[in-house]
Amino acid sequence: MISLEDAARKPLPSPDADTAALWRGLRDGQLLLQHCGDCGNVQFYQQGFCRHCSGENLTHRPASGRGKVHSFSVVHRAPGPAFKNDVPYAVLLVELAEGPRMISTYTGGRSDEVTFDMEVELVCEPVSDDIALPRFKRA
Amino acid sequence: MTKAAALAGHKNSLRGQVAIVGIGLSPVGKVPGRSPLWLAAAAAKQALADAGMQKNEIDGVLASPAMAAQFHRFSVAFSEYFGVRPTFSNTLQVSGATAATMFSIAAAAIHGGLAETVLVVGGDSLLSGLTPELALRSLTESRDQQYEMPFGIPVANTFAMTAHRHMKEFGTTPEQLAQVAVTQRQHAARTPGAQQTEPITIEDVLNSKMVTSPYRKLDCSLISDGGAAFVLTSAERAKALGIEKPIYILGGGECYTHEHIFLMPSLTTTGAVQSSQWAYDMAGYGPKDMHTAGVYDCFTGTVIMMLEDLGFCPKGEGGRFVADGQMTYGGQIPSNTHGGLLSFAHSGIPGSLFHFHEVVAQLRGECGARQVAGAELGLVHSLGAGFATNATTILGTENTL
Repeated sequence: MISLEDAARKPLPSPDADTAALWRGLRDGQLLLQHCGDCGNVQFYQQGFCRHCSGENLTHRPASGRGKVHSFSVVHRAPGPAFKNDVPYAVLLVELAEGPRMISTYTGGRSDEVTFDMEVELVCEPVSDDIALPRFKRA
Repeated sequence: MTKAAALAGHKNSLRGQVAIVGIGLSPVGKVPGRSPLWLAAAAAKQALADAGMQKNEIDGVLASPAMAAQFHRFSVAFSEYFGVRPTFSNTLQVSGATAATMFSIAAAAIHGGLAETVLVVGGDSLLSGLTPELALRSLTESRDQQYEMPFGIPVANTFAMTAHRHMKEFGTTPEQLAQVAVTQRQHAARTPGAQQTEPITIEDVLNSKMVTSPYRKLDCSLISDGGAAFVLTSAERAKALGIEKPIYILGGGECYTHEHIFLMPSLTTTGAVQSSQWAYDMAGYGPKDMHTAGVYDCFTGTVIMMLEDLGFCPKGEGGRFVADGQMTYGGQIPSNTHGGLLSFAHSGIPGSLFHFHEVVAQLRGECGARQVAGAELGLVHSLGAGFATNATTILGTENTL
């Protein structure tokens, strides 16, 4: 159970032993995807093994930042006090041009503009000294 | 032959080996001044009385965790509180799917000799034990801290995105979603103790406040207090005890397809396809054989998708199936006849134990005004975490063995 005080703060991601490069990349304005040198699988998020072949021959390459909206849901009732001032906001399930999907939110426009299959483009938005969140605007 | 079919023919199949011999329910809905442990213990006391057993006959305890209780080991804390000393115990956690897994694991433990009589129990007080803000935020905390939580994604949002995509792919309408809420409210009106019994219309659902599109307030399950408990023992022991109407576990199956919603293989076809197939194969029955079902209903669209994935109607037809009255009395599969999480009660993980309580009561023929006539075979499907976790249990009377 979390305290009321904690509930009032937006949760910030804490990079773990696997994910430092991903968050460093985002801070520098790039979304890094992992490419498996053994089987060719491309994956989001950063981890120590290829999810397909369990290989460890993984390299980071910047994503194009292009994608489209596979699904979305506009939040009208905030999940706790920290997001109260943001509603309504559109949570996106983005399918990246490279294949992997990721969760994000829509930025640079109104939540009611979002449609299925809408083309979107990455925006790295700093939220602290170390962390930038990958958000998406209309392409 | 599928792996499930192969196992079903195996001598270790759980089919019919273990029976539910006692069921209990605490008061549900708004139950102020009662802790999760009290709710669990109140249900357990009733389940033992129903079985005609003493608590010292319990040698196994399986519990679900409670959000409003600080215990790291809820099953152990429960045993102390209730005054039992089990030699088999665990607290299981696969979110909303936990309930059905508790029955499979209890059955496997009994059949495998780890315990003779297992109490399956859960209780939580999301309504009275947490503020609404903390209850909602606690549900968000179950999402990934790096890739989901920072975007303000409540667990409702993951389910909403699946339903939204279902609407796009299959033309499922807001009215069809609303019908699920309306039908289940009608069911709850006949259930003593249900939290919400006031009749609602499709217009009421469509006019209720938007929560996270396409879900409005009345598309969402309740937030409640409540607990449920069950006594399980071997079929032989049930017979020796002279239990009047043992309800047998005929099949169980689980499937875990992803953790993060963005790695869900398909937003519209879920792991319920595999979990139910496994359970059907073990039971030797199919979806058309079921007389009643408890279908996890955290949201209206979830029910529509599950009626498809559990095999009650073809993929994409769930909306029409519901609008056509197929999930209520006189239809193909009367489901959530107690009102479900949408109208009976939803106290977190124990919520799906209420579906078990209802299906067992239906199979025992104890449901009075809401009895499904002649119900002998029932299915319960539990799921959670944006369809990350799925578990199905098939139950039957002695005639179905």
